[in-house]
Amino acid sequence: MPDTMEILPSLPIPAHLVGEVQSKLAYVDEAVARGDVSPAGDQITLYLRHPLESELRDSLQEKVQRVVTSMVKGAFRPKVLVLEDFLDRPAGGYTADPHEELLRRGELSQEANGVYVLGPLLTRLIAWFEARFMELADSFGAAPYRFPTLIPAKYMERVDYFSAFPHSLSFATHLRTDLDAIDRFAQEAACNHQGELEAPSDSFAPFRTLLSPAVCYHLYFSLADRPLPGGQVVATAVGNCFRHEAINLVSLERMWNFTMREVIFVGPKEFVLDNRETARQRMAKVFEEIGLAYRVESANDPFFIGEFRKQVAFQSAFQLKYEIRARLPFKEATLAVGSYNYHQDFFGRKLNITLPDGSPAHTGCVAFGLERMAYAFLAQFGLDPHYWPETVQNSIA
Amino acid sequence: MEIDPTQLTEQVRGLLAEALHVPHEAVTDGLAFGDLPEWDSMGHMEVMVLLEERYGVEISADTIANLTSVEGILAYLKENGHA
Repeated sequence: MPDTMEILPSLPIPAHLVGEVQSKLAYVDEAVARGDVSPAGDQITLYLRHPLESELRDSLQEKVQRVVTSMVKGAFRPKVLVLEDFLDRPAGGYTADPHEELLRRGELSQEANGVYVLGPLLTRLIAWFEARFMELADSFGAAPYRFPTLIPAKYMERVDYFSAFPHSLSFATHLRTDLDAIDRFAQEAACNHQGELEAPSDSFAPFRTLLSPAVCYHLYFSLADRPLPGGQVVATAVGNCFRHEAINLVSLERMWNFTMREVIFVGPKEFVLDNRETARQRMAKVFEEIGLAYRVESANDPFFIGEFRKQVAFQSAFQLKYEIRARLPFKEATLAVGSYNYHQDFFGRKLNITLPDGSPAHTGCVAFGLERMAYAFLAQFGLDPHYWPETVQNSIA
Repeated sequence: MEIDPTQLTEQVRGLLAEALHVPHEAVTDGLAFGDLPEWDSMGHMEVMVLLEERYGVEISADTIANLTSVEGILAYLKENGHA
């Protein structure tokens, strides 16, 4: 039987952190089915999967307060810069959530939490956006790359990923190379009624690889420990990305397994910053052509609670990240469908990627979430292509 | 409270050494953000927190973005009446 818990946060949660704190409640405990923070930031409600004994409730309360304290105490209010604001564009006038209709039509089917199969309509729509993103990449003369889905743990450690984003990591391993272990696994492995694979505990090899959480890391790793060829690089790739967001996983808005197209810049500071800005201006024309309602504003990465406060303040002060936030009319909210990022010389230093003068290379990327892009488009224009902008309609027909 | 400029320089060097967990002698007068592996984004925010604690420097977008060198920190503290 479900249960709820009302918690008074140990510190008042300022308005700009209400959403951030709420998103981190997803990681507090497996007993939590949903966590809400009141708009005023003075009340937290946890919806529990089942009633808890008082000792466990105390432990849960302590964990929630730890999240609040880590994120709120001494928090710096970020400076929000809006570079483009076209949220009031009429778009397609559609006001329903396309998710249910996509499921009903068989255009979408769910394989697991946050894992979806996309049908022909979504696939063709994504191909249309992909063609636009490739035009952007080509306008920079970007070299095409194909990156693997797996990513080495030792490299992720080298770029401090484990301390910054531990909560959303996904791991990959295989059976131990041992005939007895393989035989035992073959005989005993089975899924329980919750879909969890039960197997002998010594079946698996140590984790040396993860499922990649982003695309551009692969390029930086491939450039590590040597001078940057030609002093500057522009590359593009599309890849599967994995971020496990627990109970926050919902529809195509927030998937565990999603795809990103990136255009990546490596070189001197001005080269990276100028190209990031040029990319933004070129994409504005694409979005204008289709009448997308969106805004570009400063943002931060979803750092975990330990580093959240400081990293967010740093990103904000140096304006390192801007998100393209498309309007979702059905819930009067916005969804990040892409971002323009500058990492300073973080990767250049961590990975020893050097410019001809010996200084560390700067990096940046523009990234588009393909499923989110299509989802936001459908939320604004609906599923009937007759109501879509002509240019999209013509390409897909 | 006004401090002798030489003393202030030594204090700031000590503060940076403490925040970045590096030996005092690693903090030269010309040191800037990024010159040491320890003076990265997290290290920089440790510097900002100590500057707030010791000198009441408000942590804002402007101070985070501008106080990125020993020279810059000293100039800011002097401008704000600490020397």
